[in-house]
Amino acid sequence: MNKIKTIARPAERKVTGCGECRSTCQSACKTSCTVGNQSCERITRESDPEKNK
Amino acid sequence: MVHVFRYKEHYYIFDTGSSALHECDEKAALLLREKLGEDVDTAEVTPEERRAYEEDFEELKKAGLLFKEEVKAAPPKSDEVKALCLHICHDCNLRCKYCFADEGAYHAKREFMSLETAKKAIDFLIENSGNRRILETDFFGGEPLMNFDVVKETVYYAKAEAAKRGKKFLFTLTTNGLLLKDDIAEFLNAEMENVVLSLDGRKEVHDAVRKTANGKGSFDLVIENLKNFVKIRGNKSYYVRGTFTAKNLDFSKDVLFLADNGFDSISMEPVVTDIPDLAITKKDLSAVCAEYDRLCDKYLEREAQGKGFNFFHFNIDLEGGPCLSKRVSACGAGNEYFSVVPNGDIYPCHQFAGDQDFRMGNVYEGKLDETIRAKFKNSCLFKRKKCDGCFAKFICSGGCSANNYHFNGDINDPYEITCEMMKKRVEDAMHILAERKSRSHT
Repeated sequence: MNKIKTIARPAERKVTGCGECRSTCQSACKTSCTVGNQSCERITRESDPEKNK
Repeated sequence: MVHVFRYKEHYYIFDTGSSALHECDEKAALLLREKLGEDVDTAEVTPEERRAYEEDFEELKKAGLLFKEEVKAAPPKSDEVKALCLHICHDCNLRCKYCFADEGAYHAKREFMSLETAKKAIDFLIENSGNRRILETDFFGGEPLMNFDVVKETVYYAKAEAAKRGKKFLFTLTTNGLLLKDDIAEFLNAEMENVVLSLDGRKEVHDAVRKTANGKGSFDLVIENLKNFVKIRGNKSYYVRGTFTAKNLDFSKDVLFLADNGFDSISMEPVVTDIPDLAITKKDLSAVCAEYDRLCDKYLEREAQGKGFNFFHFNIDLEGGPCLSKRVSACGAGNEYFSVVPNGDIYPCHQFAGDQDFRMGNVYEGKLDETIRAKFKNSCLFKRKKCDGCFAKFICSGGCSANNYHFNGDINDPYEITCEMMKKRVEDAMHILAERKSRSHT
């Protein structure tokens, strides 16, 4: 490809809809939630075992 | 759908079906807009160039990164309750002009939640959490630290009860910082997964709206408490959370002021109010959007200088963020997340607290109004028809149900002003991703 550069491509997901994600807004903005800027809890915990304790 | 947009001299393509983001040149952007049916002048594109661009488009399409079909159905939602917002205190030691919560009282009498009610709420959460292991409780007010003993005892109780069931609590607390002295700070630092500190930015901006009960500005009363807390917080999560209004549309200065004062995790939210001199209205939108761009430039500039900070709305994770199920079901208010007020009444979220049309039950009764719950459970991105043609829909999930209801009378009818600000923040966040990628390659 010559003219277009890919900046972000979605990761292949083995697990979706596990429901482990948080409900409380992490910035407590509480009015303008941007779900897309939260992390996937499952991925976070799997990559950081401390979080799983 | 495909969204083609420009940030100054940069051109981007965002494919909503795949969540892929591409950077391109002006001619590629023009040709793509032409493909999307827009009336554009492509006279400067030579036939050879057109062929080369078409090859690129085709390659991306084959890789599933352009014109990918969007998912159109929401996965079923669980009945497990994950989180409670505990209104530990319906009173406040500040009288902020824009407070949606009627300066802490929520249009009712000022009262504190008893420890008994807080324990009942925790029991309700655990009992209704099914197989969910991680539970969340957000201590909210009014000002929750006015009822600190109940916060403390509730944390100890929740931890002990969770341990018996193999579960774990994550606690959050939101405070204005007025009572955030050393002993309380130490407790919060030890027990809270996240702490949200309310501070609007520059002293004059903060003091104009965040006043004490005797009408004086509160900046000088809170700033040192907040700074000290952040110092001892170390690497644990916190957000300094400001609000901007029509009076400080130059809010990027407030964000930078906060960063200059040692706060490196910042959220700055548009006010939600209908107070005429404070509300953000349609006429303010172009100024607000330009201000987000200014902030975006400064944000990248600071990052390049090694003085970067985290601005909540510029975080966007297109590669490893929430899965589609979460993206279409939004925050979970009214189904997996509820608000409990001091007398134990349950509401879909804090923004509905006190509205009897949305009272869903009481923690002492232990059951929920299933009619109201069904409204929220059935609500999802695909019920929000205005979102159909929006590139940001899988990122914002159709906005805040409460906001939608309060401005448009329907939890599934997004509020346009919020939408416009959201779209601008998302475009800025995408530009930041691209700039970071470009810097990492140089």
